[in-house]
Amino acid sequence: MNAQIRKLGIALIALFVLLFAQLNNLQLRQASKLRDDPRNTRAIVVDFSRERGRILAADGTVLADSVPTDDALKRLRRYTDGPLYSGVTGYFSFNYGTDGAERTFNSQLAGKDATIASLADLLSADPKVNDVTLTIDPKVQKAASEALAGRRGAVVALDPRSGAILALVSAPTFDPNPLAAHDLNAVKTAWNGYQADKSNPLLPRAYRERYPPGSTFKVVTVAASLSSAPELISKAYPSLRDLDLRGTTKNLPNFGGSTCGGTAPELLRVSCNTGFGQMGLDLGAQKLRDRATAFGFGEKAPIDLPAAASSRFPSLDDLKTQPQLAFTAIGQLDVAATPLQMALTAGGIGNGGVVMSPHVLGKITDAAGTVVDQPEQKPWKTALSADQAAALRDMMVGVVERGTARNMAIPGVQVAGKTGTAQTVGSKAHAWIIGFAPASAPTIAVAVIVESQTDNDGQTGGAVAAPIAKRVLQASLGK
Amino acid sequence: MTALPRRRTELGLVLLAGLVTASALTLASLGKVGEPPPGILVFGVAMLVLLGVAHLAVRRLAPNADPVILPVALLLNGIGYVMIARLDQRLAGLQAVWSAIGIAAFIGTLVVVRRVRDLERYRYTFLVVGLGLLLLPLVPGLGRNINGARIWIRVGPIGFQPGELAKIVLALFFASYLVERRELLAERLRLRILLPVLLAWGVSILIMVAEKDLGSSLLFFGLFVGMVWVATNQWLYVAGGATMFAAGATVAYKMFGHVRTRVTIWIDPWADSQNKGYQIVQAMFAFGSGGTLGAGLALGSPQRIPAAATDFIFAAIGEELGLVGTTGVLLAFLLLIGAGLRIAILCQNPFEKLLATGLTLIVGFQTFIIIGGVTRLVPLTGITLPFVSYGGSSIVANYILIALLLRTSDEAKQR
Repeated sequence: MNAQIRKLGIALIALFVLLFAQLNNLQLRQASKLRDDPRNTRAIVVDFSRERGRILAADGTVLADSVPTDDALKRLRRYTDGPLYSGVTGYFSFNYGTDGAERTFNSQLAGKDATIASLADLLSADPKVNDVTLTIDPKVQKAASEALAGRRGAVVALDPRSGAILALVSAPTFDPNPLAAHDLNAVKTAWNGYQADKSNPLLPRAYRERYPPGSTFKVVTVAASLSSAPELISKAYPSLRDLDLRGTTKNLPNFGGSTCGGTAPELLRVSCNTGFGQMGLDLGAQKLRDRATAFGFGEKAPIDLPAAASSRFPSLDDLKTQPQLAFTAIGQLDVAATPLQMALTAGGIGNGGVVMSPHVLGKITDAAGTVVDQPEQKPWKTALSADQAAALRDMMVGVVERGTARNMAIPGVQVAGKTGTAQTVGSKAHAWIIGFAPASAPTIAVAVIVESQTDNDGQTGGAVAAPIAKRVLQASLGK
Repeated sequence: MTALPRRRTELGLVLLAGLVTASALTLASLGKVGEPPPGILVFGVAMLVLLGVAHLAVRRLAPNADPVILPVALLLNGIGYVMIARLDQRLAGLQAVWSAIGIAAFIGTLVVVRRVRDLERYRYTFLVVGLGLLLLPLVPGLGRNINGARIWIRVGPIGFQPGELAKIVLALFFASYLVERRELLAERLRLRILLPVLLAWGVSILIMVAEKDLGSSLLFFGLFVGMVWVATNQWLYVAGGATMFAAGATVAYKMFGHVRTRVTIWIDPWADSQNKGYQIVQAMFAFGSGGTLGAGLALGSPQRIPAAATDFIFAAIGEELGLVGTTGVLLAFLLLIGAGLRIAILCQNPFEKLLATGLTLIVGFQTFIIIGGVTRLVPLTGITLPFVSYGGSSIVANYILIALLLRTSDEAKQR
């Protein structure tokens, strides 16, 4: 029987060789395919089961943390004041991925970047996670959100000296808590609800949506004159009701049919369309475009949040006709800016012409509270010289003290600002304001947009947006 | 004494198996909660006592036996225990108790069976007992349907799968029957001689249909055909057996939904990945996610695979220990098979020779059926992975099985 037993042994070895071949097939050849199969949620579960660092506001307020649970995903992401901060924190969802700071700082929050200090760190399933402290100031954030009072729009406040974002509000907003829940059906329902909502609450308007900046853009037009055609600043523009433009029957009218004219400071105070339209024609496309680019138009602001939109300024080809150039000079037609870009524009003027790189990250700390990372404060753009910036600032102070932005005035503080009422479809208009304070050495710059007011009458930047900006400035300055 | 070197080797290997188990358990706990398991010292001492007792029993009762089989079995038992502990603490406690009972049964077998060839004369007792055990779950009031298969009996609080013991008892019967009849069987085919083949076939089809236990059915029939062939060297039995089994399986496929389902999800588990194919798809993901080196003990998610602690424990090993770990387990089984067949070749008594072959074939074929099933090499038929899977009946039966092999080995060496 020994011969048969040997053959049987060979047969069994052959069967085991087949098993070994199949194991190689599964664990080597097809391994990455199987690992990355969308139906294989193992990798996601690992992220969801382990500890995750907290997201904190500048003053230490906890915006997001993870609490242990009893179910298969061992930890639940919890957002205190979710809807108030969701525009910054974003969400952390099993089904729908991440957004906002949760995405940008995922590796730090998940501890993937943490250094390995001991053998225990290497063996532990729970890597040492880091906390992310944002630059958001809850006082300012709350003031901005309350002042918007449910109207669609956005508020961006930042420290012009450092680029630190103090408030980033987008309305309507969403609650990230249901998206981070563990009941996958409930998550789906919440997600579908937000998706179906026409007001698009998941969109962080503050940095991912573009609007025509309207008259707030006139500060860029003035800046272009200051830097490359100073003679236009002292030029007395004629008093007109509307500006006659070549090549169109649609002339450029003043707001509300008023008549205005004068030198640049006077034009800016009353936001004179005819004056700035003519200034645009006097400057020419190239100079206007150069200055817009110097403020950051045409480029994505380098903020540390995902998928920021770039602001837009038309190409020279689209600025060949008089109407194109004149309407562009007052922030209409194809000019489009994110609220963030307009806050940066205001901040750059307040900061002596230097636009600082915007960021929401304050610092990254480990479990012991030691700072492991801090963003560098660096200039993004140099838009103007200090003198030119000071001159523009003084004009903007005039807008608040004696012009269209009077509603932003704060007793005891010099405020600089510029309103905008951007025409959209039909009689609808977005109400804008940008500004900074204290004017001579600003600690805060702000941009506010309230979307699509029903008609022009009374719904101007000065009437609607200025009071919001005022409350934001007050909250920050403590006045 | 010539016995001592073998036992010294065994002691070293047994201690190594214990060390691997204790280290793996510590790693799994570090992976799971970041600290060593709370009762590791108590566990270590208990395990050492258990391993020591098993080793001393062999030293005392079968001093000339093969030195590899016991350590390899203990190693597989240990790796299985670690995976079970990592999946389900409650099952791990039970498995520890079953392992102790298994080792007690191992020693008991060595004590009771002083000479394997003495068992030859209980031939028909074994036949009756074997068939009885196999068919016991079909007795109304005694048998239980669990997960669709009727392979359990329950007396009071104790549940048991008699089929696990039946395979050993039937191997004993086959060995003694075939040794007596092999010359007759080898000569030429006569209907009267073919009768036992038909009987075995009938029983295996009955298990497949009535107990819905495809794995045991295949194992049982494979064991019989394999042993007949080794005894007679007649390929006709293999060809005839395979044809008959294929015919029976085809009819079963046409007639019974549970057989059809197994084949359908084997051919394409992805078509129904959330329902019928879920288990095998999760096993595929486990193997793929494990890759070469594995996720690490307690760092994967094998708990998503239904029956991860029992039939699918090999997939759990694949996820957390990777190709390296699965290859290691395959090699351990090959060592066991090699040692078993070596014993068969070395011993002179034809009954013992055939029995050792049969017992080794059980381990090898059962391992192939379940690993092939969870890796989708062959259709899945639920059966335990010897020594590794959770399950009292399986652990106890397999320890008895290796005790018989060691007893045979001891006798062969003495002569």
